[in-house]
Amino acid sequence: MSTPALELTGLKKSFGKAEIIRGIDLSIGKAERHAIIGPNGAGKSTLFNLITARFPPTSGTVKLHGEDLAGLQPFQINRRGLSRSFQITNIFPAMTVFENVRCALLWAQGYKYSFWNLVNRSRSLTEGADAILDQINLLARRDLPAGMLSYAEQRALEIGITIAGGADVIMLDEPTAGMSHSETDYITDLILKVTAGKTLIMVEHDMGVVFGLADRISVLVYGEIIATGKPADVRADPKVQEAYLGAALEAEH
Amino acid sequence: MNDELTTDPSKPSQRMRAGSLSLTLTPWIVAAFLLLVLPFVFTNNSAITIMNQMWITVIFALAYNMLLGQGGMLSFGHAVYAGVGGFACMHIMNMSDFFAMFPLPVLPLFGGLFGMGLALIVGSFSTRSAGTVFAMISLGVGELIAACSVIIVAFFGGEEGISGDRTYAMPFFGNEFLQPIDVYYLTSFWVLLSAALMYLWSRTPVGRMANAVRDNPERAQFLGYSSRWVRFYSFVASGFFAGVAGGLFGINYEILTEENLNTASSGVILLVTFLGGVGFFFGPIIGAIVFTLLQTVLSLQTELWAFYVGALFLATVMFFPGGLAGILMMHVPAIKLGKAGGLVRPYIKTLVPALIGILGLAALVEMTFHVRHAATGDNEMTLFWTTFDSHAILPWIIAIGVTVVGLGLARATLPAMKEAWSEANSVGGKL
Repeated sequence: MSTPALELTGLKKSFGKAEIIRGIDLSIGKAERHAIIGPNGAGKSTLFNLITARFPPTSGTVKLHGEDLAGLQPFQINRRGLSRSFQITNIFPAMTVFENVRCALLWAQGYKYSFWNLVNRSRSLTEGADAILDQINLLARRDLPAGMLSYAEQRALEIGITIAGGADVIMLDEPTAGMSHSETDYITDLILKVTAGKTLIMVEHDMGVVFGLADRISVLVYGEIIATGKPADVRADPKVQEAYLGAALEAEH
Repeated sequence: MNDELTTDPSKPSQRMRAGSLSLTLTPWIVAAFLLLVLPFVFTNNSAITIMNQMWITVIFALAYNMLLGQGGMLSFGHAVYAGVGGFACMHIMNMSDFFAMFPLPVLPLFGGLFGMGLALIVGSFSTRSAGTVFAMISLGVGELIAACSVIIVAFFGGEEGISGDRTYAMPFFGNEFLQPIDVYYLTSFWVLLSAALMYLWSRTPVGRMANAVRDNPERAQFLGYSSRWVRFYSFVASGFFAGVAGGLFGINYEILTEENLNTASSGVILLVTFLGGVGFFFGPIIGAIVFTLLQTVLSLQTELWAFYVGALFLATVMFFPGGLAGILMMHVPAIKLGKAGGLVRPYIKTLVPALIGILGLAALVEMTFHVRHAATGDNEMTLFWTTFDSHAILPWIIAIGVTVVGLGLARATLPAMKEAWSEANSVGGKL
């Protein structure tokens, strides 16, 4: 078996005495679309933050393509090919939509901290950013300040920023939170389109989105994964139904 | 998703690329022309000295705005980088053998390098975070170095400061920089070069990321950029240009003292930058010009000039956080809609009485000051080209009357002005 894209071993996190993540082992293969679901307060966002080094784990390891991420800063992890979005929209509201995406391309195109290149002279930056905007259907909003976009458009922009750098592991934290049905369908299609061939890890509440997108699902309850498997298997798992899914599934169908 | 606004994907970028050159070059050509011509309009030496002071402040304020406006770093001690750059230049001036082989126009570059050197050291620990921590470190370092000026006398010259003579430099194409006008063109060259370089900086990857880090440091981290290093590079570049301004100050005044690097000077540059507007590149330029005019021209008219500047600053912070540049740029949508003409009459109706009211208020302030502080028996004062007795009742009645009527009229016409404003900024409707 090839090296998994992301591998978590014995990952734990405590805040004071409260143990939020209680030992997670999870292996996500290349180009797999993996959803993490679970009731509120199960630690889904904390798990995301541990993987992306927003805060350090109490114990355990996170490996990206077999490389241990311990001690790395978020920007270093990002340079190794992992990119994430946030539960609360996290864009650059004062900049134009185009500039948001262009900023996301700078490092990936090797511009680093250079002060001897002019960004608007670079065809590859301009065309690259326009191509991303085309993908996320925001070309018409190109020159507007990002803060003026509608909520769904801002979420789409955030996905655009997340994928722009060409990372091969994409982590999306509740990409459809707070959206209407049609907006949710739109974002789901968008995610399918832009993450083709990439490893996708997402936290999501909307079961329709989860079962529509995911190859495999992990169910997180009180900081532990109680089941991992194909959507049909997870749906049938009595433990899952008991803990969480039953009620949600009933509501869904 | 809203699809009614659609554009040809290729067009906006083409438009930007094609238009950028002529659009961005025009202001620079105009600026160069103005710099060249101004001494022929304002020919006397004091006007030229004022303009020199102005251009130095422009460089310093633009450098400061690299931190405040573009990088989101509020510094309370930025005068030290200008000051240290200036002191270094004074020492070079005093190395007579070396200085004799040294063309004077190159000197500000060394000021810049010394300012940059200090910024490298301080920035290495101060740029770890923005916000309060950065502000406090900048204040601490500012105080520390200002205190050093009386301790390290060899470099800072103690209370007398360090003085020198610019004319000992190697003649530059026969010019020994004896006259203010010679220094004017030297300063003008540097202000144009520095402003252009700082503008170009804001268009580079590290300059764009400075804005990104200002708006959302966490997001920037997840785009592969270390917020800290982005801040560090801005800080070092800002230190360089502050040092250039310090070097030019040294050339102009041939003396630097503790005053050039203390917290008060750091406060002034914050005020200048904010007054001009931090949101636009040209904001600090306006701020520097307006402030220098107030400082030099208004201070000749009244001892209380700092009071009025303070009031202006307060009004800017409270009512126009975008500064003077923000006020100007507010009008761009109305101009684009072709409706700016409709604003002229309401503006005159409101702003002229407001101005008269404010002048009346200023008269009251001046009269109070005169009554309280003039020598006993000296009851005569001159205000607005009128000489009168400040202890008599009539001038007070007139001043109060003018103030009340002026401000009252402004207040009464304010709703009409607001209406005209919203009309001018809405699409369609009557013209």
